[in-house]
Amino acid sequence: MIEVAPKDWITAVNGLRVDGFEYFDWLGCVDEIGRRECFRIVLVVRNLAEGAEPRMVSCPLPRTDPRIDSVRGVYAGAAWHEREAAELFGVEFMGGERRRLLLNSEFEGTPLRKDEVLAARTGMDWPGAKEPGETEPSPSRRRMVPPGVPDPAVWGDRAAMQPGADPAEVAESAVGGRVRRRRT
Amino acid sequence: MSSPESAHRWIRLIEPACTSCMICARECPSWCISIASHTQPVESLPAGARDRTLNVLDHFAIDWSRCMYCGICVEECPYDALEWAGEPTQAASTSDALVEEMVQPPS
Repeated sequence: MIEVAPKDWITAVNGLRVDGFEYFDWLGCVDEIGRRECFRIVLVVRNLAEGAEPRMVSCPLPRTDPRIDSVRGVYAGAAWHEREAAELFGVEFMGGERRRLLLNSEFEGTPLRKDEVLAARTGMDWPGAKEPGETEPSPSRRRMVPPGVPDPAVWGDRAAMQPGADPAEVAESAVGGRVRRRRT
Repeated sequence: MSSPESAHRWIRLIEPACTSCMICARECPSWCISIASHTQPVESLPAGARDRTLNVLDHFAIDWSRCMYCGICVEECPYDALEWAGEPTQAASTSDALVEEMVQPPS
Protein backbone atom coordinates (compact mmCIF):
# COMPACT_ATOMS: atom_id res chain seq x y z
CA MET A 1 0.00 0.00 0.00
CA ILE A 2 1.35 3.39 -0.98
CA GLU A 3 0.88 6.10 1.64
CA VAL A 4 0.72 9.71 0.50
CA ALA A 5 0.25 13.05 2.26
CA PRO A 6 -3.11 14.85 1.82
CA LYS A 7 -1.54 17.48 -0.42
CA ASP A 8 -0.31 14.78 -2.83
CA TRP A 9 -3.57 12.82 -2.88
CA ILE A 10 -4.99 13.93 -6.23
CA THR A 11 -1.59 13.71 -7.91
CA ALA A 12 -1.06 10.16 -6.65
CA VAL A 13 -4.53 9.00 -7.67
CA ASN A 14 -4.24 10.67 -11.03
CA GLY A 15 -0.86 8.99 -11.52
CA LEU A 16 -2.46 5.57 -11.05
CA ARG A 17 -5.04 6.35 -13.70
CA VAL A 18 -2.31 7.48 -16.10
CA ASP A 19 -0.43 4.23 -15.38
CA GLY A 20 -3.38 2.25 -16.73
CA PHE A 21 -5.30 1.59 -13.53
CA GLU A 22 -8.50 2.88 -15.03
CA TYR A 23 -10.97 0.76 -13.11
CA PHE A 24 -12.05 2.28 -9.78
CA ASP A 25 -12.75 -0.50 -7.27
CA TRP A 26 -13.49 1.17 -3.94
CA LEU A 27 -12.67 3.98 -1.57
CA GLY A 28 -13.04 3.61 2.18
CA CYS A 29 -12.11 5.14 5.48
CA VAL A 30 -10.55 3.55 8.57
CA ASP A 31 -10.57 5.04 12.06
CA GLU A 32 -7.10 4.24 13.39
CA ILE A 33 -7.71 5.63 16.85
CA GLY A 34 -5.63 3.83 19.46
CA ARG A 35 -2.90 3.12 16.92
CA ARG A 36 -2.53 6.49 15.36
CA GLU A 37 -4.49 9.73 15.73
CA CYS A 38 -5.85 9.63 12.22
CA PHE A 39 -8.49 8.54 9.78
CA ARG A 40 -7.04 6.71 6.81
CA ILE A 41 -8.60 7.09 3.39
CA VAL A 42 -7.93 4.03 1.24
CA LEU A 43 -8.48 3.84 -2.50
CA VAL A 44 -8.19 0.70 -4.61
CA VAL A 45 -7.97 0.69 -8.40
CA ARG A 46 -7.43 -2.05 -10.94
CA ASN A 47 -6.02 -2.49 -14.36
CA LEU A 48 -8.47 -4.84 -16.04
CA ALA A 49 -6.66 -4.99 -19.36
CA GLU A 50 -3.37 -6.33 -18.04
CA GLY A 51 -4.80 -8.21 -15.06
CA ALA A 52 -2.19 -6.71 -12.75
CA GLU A 53 -2.47 -6.76 -8.95
CA PRO A 54 -4.83 -4.03 -7.73
CA ARG A 55 -3.13 -0.90 -6.46
CA MET A 56 -3.98 0.46 -3.06
CA VAL A 57 -3.16 4.02 -2.07
CA SER A 58 -3.92 5.56 1.29
CA CYS A 59 -3.73 8.89 3.00
CA PRO A 60 -3.79 9.56 6.76
CA LEU A 61 -5.85 12.55 7.88
CA PRO A 62 -5.68 14.21 11.30
CA ARG A 63 -8.69 13.41 13.49
CA THR A 64 -9.08 17.02 14.51
CA ASP A 65 -9.68 18.35 10.99
CA PRO A 66 -10.04 15.48 8.50
CA ARG A 67 -10.08 17.06 5.06
CA ILE A 68 -8.96 15.74 1.72
CA ASP A 69 -9.42 16.62 -1.94
CA SER A 70 -12.15 14.76 -3.77
CA VAL A 71 -10.98 12.44 -6.53
CA ARG A 72 -14.33 12.32 -8.31
CA GLY A 73 -12.73 14.34 -11.13
CA VAL A 74 -10.35 11.40 -11.68
CA TYR A 75 -12.78 8.53 -11.07
CA ALA A 76 -16.42 9.60 -11.26
CA GLY A 77 -17.45 6.43 -9.44
CA ALA A 78 -15.55 7.53 -6.35
CA ALA A 79 -18.22 10.15 -5.61
CA TRP A 80 -20.59 7.68 -3.93
CA HIS A 81 -17.81 6.20 -1.84
CA GLU A 82 -16.70 9.66 -0.78
CA ARG A 83 -20.25 10.59 0.23
CA GLU A 84 -20.45 7.45 2.34
CA ALA A 85 -17.10 8.07 4.06
CA ALA A 86 -18.03 11.72 4.57
CA GLU A 87 -21.23 11.02 6.45
CA LEU A 88 -20.09 7.95 8.38
CA PHE A 89 -16.71 9.32 9.49
CA GLY A 90 -17.21 13.08 9.28
CA VAL A 91 -14.45 13.51 6.71
CA GLU A 92 -14.71 16.49 4.38
CA PHE A 93 -14.01 15.84 0.70
CA MET A 94 -13.13 19.21 -0.74
CA GLY A 95 -14.70 19.69 -4.14
CA GLY A 96 -16.82 16.56 -3.63
CA GLU A 97 -20.54 15.93 -3.65
CA ARG A 98 -21.99 17.18 -0.35
CA ARG A 99 -25.35 15.40 -0.34
CA ARG A 100 -25.84 12.54 2.06
CA LEU A 101 -25.97 9.02 0.69
CA LEU A 102 -27.29 6.68 3.40
CA LEU A 103 -28.21 8.62 6.54
CA ASN A 104 -31.34 10.70 6.73
CA SER A 105 -30.97 14.44 6.82
CA GLU A 106 -31.89 14.83 10.51
CA PHE A 107 -29.29 12.34 11.71
CA GLU A 108 -26.51 13.88 13.75
CA GLY A 109 -23.25 12.13 14.40
CA THR A 110 -20.60 10.08 12.66
CA PRO A 111 -21.63 6.45 13.22
CA LEU A 112 -18.45 4.66 12.17
CA ARG A 113 -16.03 6.67 14.27
CA LYS A 114 -14.83 4.34 16.98
CA ASP A 115 -15.43 6.88 19.73
CA GLU A 116 -19.08 7.22 18.70
CA VAL A 117 -21.24 6.03 21.58
CA LEU A 118 -24.63 4.31 21.30
CA ALA A 119 -26.06 6.79 23.77
CA ALA A 120 -29.62 5.42 23.79
CA ARG A 121 -28.31 2.06 24.94
CA THR A 122 -26.42 3.40 27.95
CA GLY A 123 -29.75 3.72 29.76
CA MET A 124 -30.96 0.22 28.88
CA ASP A 125 -30.33 -3.03 30.70
CA TRP A 126 -28.09 -5.20 28.59
CA PRO A 127 -29.25 -8.85 28.66
CA GLY A 128 -25.63 -10.02 28.48
CA ALA A 129 -24.69 -8.37 31.77
CA LYS A 130 -25.60 -11.55 33.68
CA GLU A 131 -23.00 -14.23 34.20
CA PRO A 132 -23.91 -17.86 33.51
CA GLY A 133 -25.86 -19.14 36.49
CA GLU A 134 -27.25 -15.73 37.44
CA THR A 135 -30.87 -14.74 37.67
CA GLU A 136 -30.06 -11.08 38.19
CA PRO A 137 -26.89 -9.29 37.13
CA SER A 138 -24.52 -8.94 40.05
CA PRO A 139 -21.79 -6.37 40.40
CA SER A 140 -18.69 -8.40 39.82
CA ARG A 141 -15.06 -7.80 39.11
CA ARG A 142 -15.41 -9.48 35.75
CA ARG A 143 -18.17 -7.20 34.54
CA MET A 144 -18.97 -7.27 30.80
CA VAL A 145 -20.00 -4.28 28.73
CA PRO A 146 -21.72 -4.47 25.34
CA PRO A 147 -20.08 -3.13 22.17
CA GLY A 148 -20.75 0.54 21.54
CA VAL A 149 -21.58 1.29 25.16
CA PRO A 150 -18.51 2.40 27.06
CA ASP A 151 -17.59 1.67 30.63
CA PRO A 152 -19.65 4.10 32.75
CA ALA A 153 -16.47 5.17 34.53
CA VAL A 154 -15.18 6.52 31.21
CA TRP A 155 -18.35 7.93 29.72
CA GLY A 156 -21.41 9.05 31.65
CA ASP A 157 -20.55 8.61 35.32
CA ARG A 158 -17.69 11.07 35.31
CA ALA A 159 -18.29 13.99 37.63
CA ALA A 160 -19.02 17.25 35.88
CA MET A 161 -15.86 18.70 37.41
CA GLN A 162 -13.64 16.16 35.69
CA PRO A 163 -12.59 16.65 32.10
CA GLY A 164 -14.32 14.36 29.60
CA ALA A 165 -12.56 11.22 28.47
CA ASP A 166 -10.47 11.68 25.37
CA PRO A 167 -11.73 9.98 22.21
CA ALA A 168 -9.12 7.20 22.34
CA GLU A 169 -10.24 6.27 25.86
CA VAL A 170 -13.91 6.23 24.84
CA ALA A 171 -13.14 4.14 21.75
CA GLU A 172 -11.09 1.65 23.74
CA SER A 173 -13.79 1.17 26.35
CA ALA A 174 -16.61 0.80 23.80
CA VAL A 175 -15.34 -2.32 22.04
CA GLY A 176 -17.28 -4.59 24.41
CA GLY A 177 -16.10 -7.46 26.54
CA ARG A 178 -14.62 -7.51 30.01
CA VAL A 179 -14.07 -4.17 31.65
CA ARG A 180 -10.37 -3.84 32.15
CA ARG A 181 -9.12 -2.35 35.34
CA ARG A 182 -8.25 1.23 34.61
CA ARG A 183 -5.00 2.81 35.57
CA THR A 184 -5.59 6.09 37.35
CA MET B 1 -31.62 -21.70 -2.74
CA SER B 2 -32.11 -22.24 0.95
CA SER B 3 -34.62 -24.79 2.07
CA PRO B 4 -37.44 -23.83 4.45
CA GLU B 5 -35.52 -25.54 7.26
CA SER B 6 -32.59 -23.17 6.92
CA ALA B 7 -34.55 -20.04 6.03
CA HIS B 8 -34.39 -17.19 8.52
CA ARG B 9 -37.90 -17.53 9.89
CA TRP B 10 -37.82 -18.63 13.46
CA ILE B 11 -35.10 -19.54 15.95
CA ARG B 12 -35.70 -22.55 18.12
CA LEU B 13 -34.00 -23.33 21.41
CA ILE B 14 -32.92 -26.93 21.92
CA GLU B 15 -33.20 -26.74 25.67
CA PRO B 16 -31.24 -29.85 26.71
CA ALA B 17 -28.20 -28.56 24.82
CA CYS B 18 -28.23 -25.10 26.42
CA THR B 19 -25.67 -24.51 29.19
CA SER B 20 -26.83 -20.93 29.99
CA CYS B 21 -23.39 -19.67 28.93
CA MET B 22 -24.84 -16.27 27.90
CA ILE B 23 -22.85 -16.14 24.66
CA CYS B 24 -25.95 -15.70 22.46
CA ALA B 25 -27.32 -12.90 24.66
CA ARG B 26 -23.98 -11.10 24.55
CA GLU B 27 -23.42 -11.50 20.84
CA CYS B 28 -26.94 -10.43 19.85
CA PRO B 29 -26.64 -6.97 18.23
CA SER B 30 -30.27 -6.13 18.91
CA TRP B 31 -30.30 -7.29 22.55
CA CYS B 32 -33.37 -9.47 22.02
CA ILE B 33 -32.40 -12.62 23.98
CA SER B 34 -32.97 -12.72 27.73
CA ILE B 35 -31.76 -15.58 29.87
CA ALA B 36 -31.93 -16.38 33.56
CA SER B 37 -30.30 -19.35 35.18
CA HIS B 38 -29.13 -20.58 38.55
CA THR B 39 -26.47 -22.97 39.74
CA GLN B 40 -27.12 -26.11 41.67
CA PRO B 41 -24.83 -28.78 43.04
CA VAL B 42 -24.39 -31.90 40.97
CA GLU B 43 -25.78 -34.88 42.80
CA SER B 44 -24.63 -38.48 42.63
CA LEU B 45 -20.94 -37.69 42.32
CA PRO B 46 -18.60 -40.59 42.98
CA ALA B 47 -17.46 -40.83 46.59
CA GLY B 48 -14.63 -38.47 47.40
CA ALA B 49 -15.15 -36.28 44.32
CA ARG B 50 -14.91 -32.52 44.62
CA ASP B 51 -18.26 -30.70 44.77
CA ARG B 52 -19.46 -29.49 41.41
CA THR B 53 -22.17 -27.13 40.31
CA LEU B 54 -24.27 -27.08 37.17
CA ASN B 55 -26.06 -24.17 35.52
CA VAL B 56 -29.81 -24.71 35.29
CA LEU B 57 -31.70 -22.69 32.69
CA ASP B 58 -34.76 -21.01 34.25
CA HIS B 59 -35.84 -18.60 31.58
CA PHE B 60 -35.08 -18.13 27.91
CA ALA B 61 -36.99 -15.64 25.77
CA ILE B 62 -36.52 -14.01 22.38
CA ASP B 63 -38.19 -10.69 21.71
CA TRP B 64 -39.26 -10.98 18.08
CA SER B 65 -40.04 -7.26 17.97
CA ARG B 66 -36.31 -6.63 18.31
CA CYS B 67 -34.87 -9.68 16.55
CA MET B 68 -33.58 -8.92 13.07
CA TYR B 69 -33.16 -12.59 12.15
CA CYS B 70 -29.45 -12.17 11.54
CA GLY B 71 -28.63 -15.60 12.97
CA ILE B 72 -25.53 -14.51 14.87
CA CYS B 73 -26.86 -16.36 17.95
CA VAL B 74 -27.28 -19.55 15.91
CA GLU B 75 -23.74 -19.19 14.57
CA GLU B 76 -22.15 -18.34 17.89
CA CYS B 77 -23.75 -20.98 20.12
CA PRO B 78 -20.90 -23.36 20.98
CA TYR B 79 -23.35 -26.10 21.97
CA ASP B 80 -25.62 -25.93 18.90
CA ALA B 81 -28.54 -25.17 21.18
CA LEU B 82 -30.13 -22.70 18.74
CA GLU B 83 -31.28 -23.57 15.26
CA TRP B 84 -33.31 -22.15 12.43
CA ALA B 85 -36.80 -23.55 12.17
CA GLY B 86 -39.15 -23.52 9.23
CA GLU B 87 -42.24 -21.93 10.75
CA PRO B 88 -42.44 -18.14 10.68
CA THR B 89 -42.85 -16.38 14.03
CA GLN B 90 -46.40 -15.67 15.09
CA ALA B 91 -47.92 -12.28 14.44
CA ALA B 92 -49.18 -10.38 17.47
CA SER B 93 -51.15 -7.23 18.13
CA THR B 94 -48.89 -5.88 20.88
CA SER B 95 -45.12 -5.73 21.11
CA ASP B 96 -45.22 -7.49 24.50
CA ALA B 97 -46.88 -10.46 22.86
CA LEU B 98 -43.90 -10.78 20.52
CA VAL B 99 -41.71 -11.84 23.44
CA GLU B 100 -41.63 -15.58 23.11
CA GLU B 101 -40.91 -17.51 26.29
CA MET B 102 -39.09 -20.65 25.26
CA VAL B 103 -38.35 -21.66 28.83
CA GLN B 104 -40.83 -20.25 31.31
CA PRO B 105 -39.62 -18.14 34.21
CA PRO B 106 -40.20 -19.82 37.59
CA SER B 107 -43.57 -18.78 38.94
